[in-house]
Amino acid sequence: MKTITLEEFLNDIDTLTIHFTLAAVLLPLLAFIINFSLPGRLHKLAGWVSTIAILLSCIISASVFSKVWNSHHVHQQMLWFTIGDTKVYAGVLLNNLSVLMLLLVNFIALPVHIYSTAYMKDDEGYNRYFAYLSFFCFSMLALVVADNLVLFYTFWELVGFSSYLLIGFWFTRDSAVQANKKAFIMNRVGDIGLLTAIIILFAQFHTFDISQLFADKGVISQSVIQGGTWIAPLGNMPAVWQYIACGGLFLAVAAKSAQFPLHTWLPDAMEGPTSISALIHAATMVAAGVFLLGRVYPLFNGAELTILALIGCFTAFMAATIALTQNDLKRILAYSTISQLGFMIMAMGIGAYASSLFHLATHAFFKCLLFLVAGIVIHQMAHIKKDNSLDIDPQNILTMGGLRKKLPLTFIAAIIGGLALVGLPLTSGYLSKDGILIQAFEWSDGKSGFYKIIPITAVLTTWLTAFYVARLILKVFFGELKVLSDHPGIQIHIGDGGWRYKLPLILLAVCCLFPLFSVSPLLYEQAWLFQGLTLTIRAVHANIYHTLIPVSVNILSVLVIYGAYMMYVKRKGNIFLQSGFLYRLSAGEWYFDRIYNSVIVKPILFLSTAAFWIDRTIIDGFINALADIGIKIAKLCAWIDHHIIDGFLNLLVVIVEAVGNFARRFQGGKVQYYLFSMLVIVLLLFILKTVF
Amino acid sequence: MISLNDFLIVSAVLFCIGLYMIVSKRNAIQILIGIELMLNAAILNLVAFGKYDRFFNGGQMFALFAIVLAAATTAVALAIILNVYRQYKTIDPGRIDKLGDE
Repeated sequence: MKTITLEEFLNDIDTLTIHFTLAAVLLPLLAFIINFSLPGRLHKLAGWVSTIAILLSCIISASVFSKVWNSHHVHQQMLWFTIGDTKVYAGVLLNNLSVLMLLLVNFIALPVHIYSTAYMKDDEGYNRYFAYLSFFCFSMLALVVADNLVLFYTFWELVGFSSYLLIGFWFTRDSAVQANKKAFIMNRVGDIGLLTAIIILFAQFHTFDISQLFADKGVISQSVIQGGTWIAPLGNMPAVWQYIACGGLFLAVAAKSAQFPLHTWLPDAMEGPTSISALIHAATMVAAGVFLLGRVYPLFNGAELTILALIGCFTAFMAATIALTQNDLKRILAYSTISQLGFMIMAMGIGAYASSLFHLATHAFFKCLLFLVAGIVIHQMAHIKKDNSLDIDPQNILTMGGLRKKLPLTFIAAIIGGLALVGLPLTSGYLSKDGILIQAFEWSDGKSGFYKIIPITAVLTTWLTAFYVARLILKVFFGELKVLSDHPGIQIHIGDGGWRYKLPLILLAVCCLFPLFSVSPLLYEQAWLFQGLTLTIRAVHANIYHTLIPVSVNILSVLVIYGAYMMYVKRKGNIFLQSGFLYRLSAGEWYFDRIYNSVIVKPILFLSTAAFWIDRTIIDGFINALADIGIKIAKLCAWIDHHIIDGFLNLLVVIVEAVGNFARRFQGGKVQYYLFSMLVIVLLLFILKTVF
Repeated sequence: MISLNDFLIVSAVLFCIGLYMIVSKRNAIQILIGIELMLNAAILNLVAFGKYDRFFNGGQMFALFAIVLAAATTAVALAIILNVYRQYKTIDPGRIDKLGDE
């Protein structure tokens, strides 16, 4: 009997794990291929093909997760290609971060798939939708396990591309086409940043391998910046390249995760189906940016992290203020996503690495839940609109109200999701968000007063969050149904919908509560996810912040919600003016679109118009002039040909013809002519003979 | 006394009239008449020159043969003209430009 050493045994297990991971990643791709090759009458199967693929993928990734989480890294690769002496390896890298994302993406995608089978059932592009959806999941899953920056970049692009397809799913609508174009172009800006960073990293470290670059003892942790030079084990280059690489990475993160200044695509991306919004906002698209930041975290140094924190903090605050005044249900949620992503980036910036990813995971659940809720609400409003042929916008929260009686389960789900978004105790959002706030205060402790601006803004943003979430839920679910009081006598037949609507809601709502993440409802340090991702193990800080901040933040949040309740439901003391500079700033979304339009889009359009004009008048003009000259020469040639060469020939012809006509007369078959000719000739001969 | 020259002048005038008729007339009968005139001009010459052969009277004799032959050829020519008229329904030689059967 062959004896197996422990090492070989572990190796075999690792190989098995890698195979499992590949299966989990490739199953959605398989579903994508199947869905595209389904014959027309089997289109209705598309939903179940994708759903089963993602279900299997989910189960497999759960088993991978259980093997890898907190035990050891699994990393296997094979030679991909060789250029000169450079060997590029491709493979799968599984560590806590990637298995967490693997599970998270699958676990969010599963309810979205189930929900979509019902949500999209009447759509013409049912199989196209599921094909794209599977492709989207495949891209994201491959992205999280890729061990190589080139591979990573490939899937990064595929994520962007598939989101482009899905945002523009209803491509007959002009607004959807505009939105997906905007999303794609903005993401291109980030892609350029990522590509730049990858090129610089390769030039400096001569490898694309993520684990070699960014591991604990990786080459990046050994490189330092000294006196304007970036010193790495294999070479030096001016420090400015390090800044450019970080800037490029930041651009990539900002584009994918919708951070200032590249955030404006996300609200417009609401043109896609709501279930797609849920996926984009929760696990696939925007999470890719934060995930990238998690992967390349060691590259950033202190000052760069501070800039990151400032930008994240600003984005969080800005998006929250915009969300206050929006009336479109999905736009409010979109801005809240931007705001929460700002929190994650800020957390990365202040060194709260684990909290940031923890918040990414919890946010995925409650934001997905809220979007599915929004999908149901919008669907039901659209039903009311269709049944009664009303002219209302089914996404406008001002036409809603009182839906808690009609949609009880949706209402409960919305409450749970909303509370998690606000971050009230007993929810998962509390654990992750308060972790970020506490660490923000701790971070600013040892620094000058200027740095206090970050935690203070973050707390302010939390209260703003509480207000807009309260406004959203109160306007939609409380009070009277606005559309009914505006149009009395209309028929309303609406409800929560079938199990395919209810099951995802229940599943996600359960995941928004604390027990999934921590046994203790109040201490974020005890969350297993937080512990698994913490970079450096540090002693639990038992300072004043840990009690003061959660208590004060939450009490004030509750007060804010109460205030919103009094204002919107009881109609008492509306303290906010619907006019004024701040209101307009918020309702106009800080005029980013307008600024971008006038500063970037207009000049570029002008430039392209000018280039077009130059092309048309100067370059084309030159060509046209050449052509004109050619035509003139040709015409001259034609004239010469016609009048001189042909003319010469024609002259010959005329002469020959004349001669012929003349001669013909003597041969015309007329006997008397012959006789006459003969006579004349004989006479001539005689005359000539006489004369000479 | 009528001299030989007078005969020759009359003969030449006759010949020219005949020639003119042959070239210019549009009627085969008239052309035939032209031919006869020319022939008669020749016969006149024969008879006129016949005075130099008093012994054998060769000129007179040849003229007689010529007159008989002319009568014969005229008969043949008239027969041809008749047949031509049957074929073409015309006797204008300018319009008779097709030989053979239709």
